[in-house]
Amino acid sequence: MPFIEVKGLRKVYRLGSEKVVALNKIDLEIEKGEICCILGTSGSGKSTFLNMLAGLEKPTKGSILIGGRDIAKMSEKELAKFRQENTGFIFQSYNLLPSLTAAENVSLPLMFKGISKNKREKIAKSMLKAVGLENRMSHRPNQMSGGQQQRVGIARAFVAKPNVVFADEPTGNLDTKTTAEVMELMVRMCRKYNQTLILVTHDVDIAKYADRIVHLIDGNIDSDKRNESIVPKEPLEKEDGKTINNACENENMQAEEIGQ
Amino acid sequence: MKFFDIIGMCFKNLWRRKLRTLLTVLGVVIGSCAIIVMISLGLGSNAALEYSLKQMGDLNVVTVYGNNNGGGVVVDASGSSKNASGAPPKLDDAALETIKALDGVEVVFPKLRLDSNMFSIYAGKNNRYKAQWIEIYGVFPEELEKFGYKIDQGQLPAEMGNKYIIFGSQAAYQFADTKRKNRMVWKEDKGDGTFTEPFFKPLEETIFLAVNNTKKDPDSNGNYQSGGRSYEHKLKVAAVLKEDYNKYESVNAIMLDMGFAKQLLADYNRLNGIKNYDTSYTEVAIWVKDLNKVGSVQDAVTEMGFQAYSMDSIRDQLQGQVVKQQMLLGGLAAISLFVAAIGITNTMIMSIYERTKEIGVMKVLGCFISNIRQMFLIEAGFIGFIGGVIGSIISIIISIVLNAVGGGAIGVDMYFGDTGKSVPISIIPFWLILLAIAFSTLIGLVSGFSPANRAVKISALEAIKNE
Repeated sequence: MPFIEVKGLRKVYRLGSEKVVALNKIDLEIEKGEICCILGTSGSGKSTFLNMLAGLEKPTKGSILIGGRDIAKMSEKELAKFRQENTGFIFQSYNLLPSLTAAENVSLPLMFKGISKNKREKIAKSMLKAVGLENRMSHRPNQMSGGQQQRVGIARAFVAKPNVVFADEPTGNLDTKTTAEVMELMVRMCRKYNQTLILVTHDVDIAKYADRIVHLIDGNIDSDKRNESIVPKEPLEKEDGKTINNACENENMQAEEIGQ
Repeated sequence: MKFFDIIGMCFKNLWRRKLRTLLTVLGVVIGSCAIIVMISLGLGSNAALEYSLKQMGDLNVVTVYGNNNGGGVVVDASGSSKNASGAPPKLDDAALETIKALDGVEVVFPKLRLDSNMFSIYAGKNNRYKAQWIEIYGVFPEELEKFGYKIDQGQLPAEMGNKYIIFGSQAAYQFADTKRKNRMVWKEDKGDGTFTEPFFKPLEETIFLAVNNTKKDPDSNGNYQSGGRSYEHKLKVAAVLKEDYNKYESVNAIMLDMGFAKQLLADYNRLNGIKNYDTSYTEVAIWVKDLNKVGSVQDAVTEMGFQAYSMDSIRDQLQGQVVKQQMLLGGLAAISLFVAAIGITNTMIMSIYERTKEIGVMKVLGCFISNIRQMFLIEAGFIGFIGGVIGSIISIIISIVLNAVGGGAIGVDMYFGDTGKSVPISIIPFWLILLAIAFSTLIGLVSGFSPANRAVKISALEAIKNE
């Protein structure tokens, strides 16, 4: 059974008396551990699709099953609980809370879960180490570059060991070099724990990091194929390998503590 | 989310906008200060009022006036308190029993006034000093203290009988020196804080009292003949009362034991051949323990046909004025707190507009909406709380300054001159502080209620929007 199962998904917006069909009829199955890219131009419905997958919007029709549960039918409270346990989110504009330090931002999802301060600080710090920001722990967002902020965002998305991570144009505000770094980081983190990553972008270069590319045009799936030219070819590159491995060991330890 | 984490988030948010938080808190500080100070002034003027009323007379006492103008006056033979038809009722022992039985009445204190021309009263060797015009009252001495009479010199004997009398504080000044053309001396300040002394020291002299035979004209010196030995009494002054200008008898009168007074009244009437004389009391003071029952006792006595007077009516009236004053001031204070409440709401709404995206992000990251509501409520409540605390501290300082600088009590001064002096202007009891802090916090929570609901309704989609 696929981890994510989308059946007959349709979304219609009402703009005054006019109806705008954002998603026509989407059927899609995504396996656990798959890195899936939703590719499309603006207005293709890719963002709407992501919003619905993440439970931010209710579909007009159809169902979205994640791990066997229909998120379209969940109440606000169930949804919050579901997000705490199953999802992570990476935003285009990072969306770190400006009054919190990097470590505090990363530990936010754990705080919402009710994990004690000491414990979540430890986990957050090891996460920040894993994304290469061990010397930026107590910096505030406005003291960091875009790339650094997005790495904090990635640490935050992965900190609670979610089953699925949604990334909405995660490199939209970054330059080419930083984009590559951020993408590689994201992909590596997913691979390590067999986490599903849903990546929404309009950038074909970014799509190359995914296992599978779903191309949306005007609210319909135009093509859905495996990525032949996947980058990076090797899950772990020699240069950063050490860091990532160390971090992952840390994560292993933390994962047991969180109880997932 | 853990409660401490919610509070931590609140502090971070308030701290992030220090100036705005400070200004909003300042609004609450001013509002709570205004209310606390106003209430403390109200409490102060209430205390001053009670104090002044106590100076004016005992709040527990209802005074009943009989329809007797003094002993020796012949009245209508039908004059009896029980079956009087049309005639005013008599304040006699029967009426006294009825009054005693009223709800709330604890002690009654009747006074029998004897007219001054019924007796000749002398003091000093060879009756050198003669009382010119002095009132004589029959009382029950054992109740004097309860009714606020204080003894200045001497002490009351166990039994006064017809041997001892009590002098009012200035009774001795009523005596004239017969050897020097009836010269008198008045109590006057000599300018150095001491007063002129009367001709004799009351406690050291024997007082000679004779019942007058008023059927015969007085001699050339204005002296009546007495009725002989059995109508003459040698008396000792047991005590001199402390003067209290609210009680005439404590100043210029002589008090006798009630039994003795009644005997003298009977003697006078017998000597002068008067048959139908009035033996009812001139005045009865009633001591009511429960202040709330003073009014009803007064009404009941009035219904019996007597004139009654108490501090209750004047107290009601004055307190009404004080309450009106307090309501006016309190109303103004309430307005400032109301403005502060609007300030809190405004601050919170502004804060929500600024944090719309943040709230969306928190929702996307799995924050329960109940936690978001709590965050905003606690932020607003904390603004109220800290405002209340600072307001209380400032109020206490204001109160101390007011009490140190201002003399008499506001609002009571104008009625009673300097009587309120020893009462502080502003009183802040501990409960007022607690109440003020609780109330400010509540104001904060109430002000934060609608913004918090607004925050909760913000869609998680706000997190995705890119401006």
